[in-house]
Amino acid sequence: MKRLMTRIGVIGLFVCCLTAAIAAAGQEPLRVGMELAYPPFEMTDKSGSPSGISVDLARDLGKALGRPVKIENMAFDGLIPALKTGKIDLIISSMTATGERARSIDFSDPYLQTGLCLLLKKDSPAATIRDLDRLGRTVAVKKGTTGHLYAAKNLKHARLLVLDKEAAAVLEVVQGKADAFIYDQMSVYQNWQRNRATTRAILAPFQKESWAIGIRKGNEPLRRQINDFIRSYRLSGGFDRLGNRYMKEMKQEFKRLGYPFFL
Amino acid sequence: MRIELVGIAKRFGEHQALRETTLALPDVHAMAVIGPSGGGKTTLLRLIAGLEIPDQGELFIDGERLESGQAALLRHRRSIGTVFQSFNLFPHLSALENIVLPLEKVHGYGRQAACDHAMALLERFQLAPHAGKRPAELSGGQQQRVAIVRAIAIKPRFLLFDEPTSALDPEMTAEVLDVIGELRAEGRDLIMVTHHMGFARSVADHCLFVGDGEILEEGPARDFFAAPRSGQLRSFLAKILKY
Amino acid sequence: MTGIFSLLTQRRGEAGPLAAMARLISWLLVFLAVGGVFTFAFSQLQYGWNWGAIADYRQKLFIGWMTTVAISCVSLCTSLIIGLAAALARRCPFLPVRYTGTLYVELIRGTPLLVQILIFFYVVADAFGIDNRYPVGVLTLSLFAGAYISEIIRAGIESVGESQLESARSIGLTRGQIYRFVIFPQVARQLIPPLAGQFASIIKDSSLLSIIAVSEFTLNAQEVNAYTYSTLESYIPLAVGYLLLTLPISLAGRVLERKYRYAH
Repeated sequence: MKRLMTRIGVIGLFVCCLTAAIAAAGQEPLRVGMELAYPPFEMTDKSGSPSGISVDLARDLGKALGRPVKIENMAFDGLIPALKTGKIDLIISSMTATGERARSIDFSDPYLQTGLCLLLKKDSPAATIRDLDRLGRTVAVKKGTTGHLYAAKNLKHARLLVLDKEAAAVLEVVQGKADAFIYDQMSVYQNWQRNRATTRAILAPFQKESWAIGIRKGNEPLRRQINDFIRSYRLSGGFDRLGNRYMKEMKQEFKRLGYPFFL
Repeated sequence: MRIELVGIAKRFGEHQALRETTLALPDVHAMAVIGPSGGGKTTLLRLIAGLEIPDQGELFIDGERLESGQAALLRHRRSIGTVFQSFNLFPHLSALENIVLPLEKVHGYGRQAACDHAMALLERFQLAPHAGKRPAELSGGQQQRVAIVRAIAIKPRFLLFDEPTSALDPEMTAEVLDVIGELRAEGRDLIMVTHHMGFARSVADHCLFVGDGEILEEGPARDFFAAPRSGQLRSFLAKILKY
Repeated sequence: MTGIFSLLTQRRGEAGPLAAMARLISWLLVFLAVGGVFTFAFSQLQYGWNWGAIADYRQKLFIGWMTTVAISCVSLCTSLIIGLAAALARRCPFLPVRYTGTLYVELIRGTPLLVQILIFFYVVADAFGIDNRYPVGVLTLSLFAGAYISEIIRAGIESVGESQLESARSIGLTRGQIYRFVIFPQVARQLIPPLAGQFASIIKDSSLLSIIAVSEFTLNAQEVNAYTYSTLESYIPLAVGYLLLTLPISLAGRVLERKYRYAH
């Protein structure tokens, strides 16, 4: 009797494990990398868990693909290496799709249009990016961003300050150590709002950019799935919902200023 | 030299090293200070050396009061020679340099004059072959003899010895005591704290017995050893001279 | 088997050609083993090596390396001065000076360098209107290293036996003369090995200055990585570049330590 019970127990355990394995294979988590330092797209809520537009987008994508989503927080300039080495499966971190980057990774269709803008110190006389490309001018950028790459390629005379964090770059401008900070339109707007006494903003983008989801090279089926998702998400008003949830004021303000809203 | 103590007392924290003491010594040339450990003899010597300031009272040497200001003490220390039980010499300098240092930097000798004077003294005490050696390369006895040379090189008013042979083995003890005996013979004044009763008896002309923070007995050497007056001195001598 | 094992076992300071041979063979074995581990690890990566990309930036990397060398040298000299001043201050009989020294050392040793760099540049220097990040960065690094150096110097000074100070006093040397002729000649030789270690630390710690955009070696390598997406190809030269600086220093430190060892 005891031997029979043992046998049933072992077989039962085996079946459970097998089922779990089969179930898990279909349910392999989707690891999405992002730098949680970019409100309102990638940020953390009061309890420290990831939140924001990109987080919600990732979760909705996971739901559509039938896979649980795990958000991995890492530095922006570490995202592409992490994707290449298989530490993460996707990059959804407000990353601009550039030709350079496309040599290392694949991008989905763009899901957002924006551009590079300038956050200037209050008394800077510059009106365009070209005004800043002069000896004696200092331009701050965040390491690894398209602003950094633009400045490295195009600004021949100005001094380039490469900072780790957006907050540090903004501080440089606020304290007058840098003439301008090159960053995307939304963040420039937000930082200007927070520092009205010490900064001003030029919100007309001098280089248009579009954001896309980063995928490891050679995974064409996944790319097709993601593009399908983006298309249907937009049609069903998913992006509008995200915009209203997180950026209602900015949406209205940009409408007032006459800039097209990007999401 | 004439030493006079008026109401001298010294304490270290809880411990009263010297109780209020008044003593006027006659003009002596060689004084031995003996007594049990921790009795206060080293403290007395250090007060005379200008290395400690008494808590109260005054100290007169040859009629002059020893001031307690830093400048006065510095001048006093520069005028006498002190030899401690050990670690007199600086380990990073050779024997010669150890002697030249005070001559050059404190007493204003020129470098060449200082070296010549030092070498002459080293030769006199058969230490010339060791002039270039560091203290670590010298034996204990040689180190103490170099320390004595350093003390006499500056032509001091008198010399102070704080148990100069206590850290040496018997053979080296003899060579150091020989040197001190020589110095005494050529007429130098000295005060020596020691355990060597035989040596004290032969070299000193006056002795002090210090115990329990007090000067329990003092007197000319002959009487001191031959006919001790106090019971404490008698029992101390009996213990010391037993073996 | 046991024969090989005993052949490669050595007590310290064994001499002779056989012993030297054993040391050489042992180093080779260790390097082979570690190299093997790394080679295996890298071969498991699906990583497209692209050394050509960073070859274009070799001048940038070299300039960054030279900047690190310059910053480290200036910091070492400045931190020696600061460390000496702090060590003497902590032995000063005048209490306010002594307490200033203690406060400085405890504050600096008790907070991370990263925090100090940020506060010194964005708060303190800004309050004084000083914008130039290079002198501020070097000063911050010097203040940081100075606190540790002051403790090394202080320990050295205090290791000079009390009896030597007694002896010095008894021959009539002033306080200043005692420092000059007795304490420092002995302490200076003793200081060389820990100072060599401190220099190596300064070289490595200087990489933190990248957070205030000081264009030193680490930041330059990170920028090259940003331009070329060749992470390993940017960072391996970075590690090698630092080793080229720190290894000779630690070797020199050990040579000097052996040279100046003598019994007290």
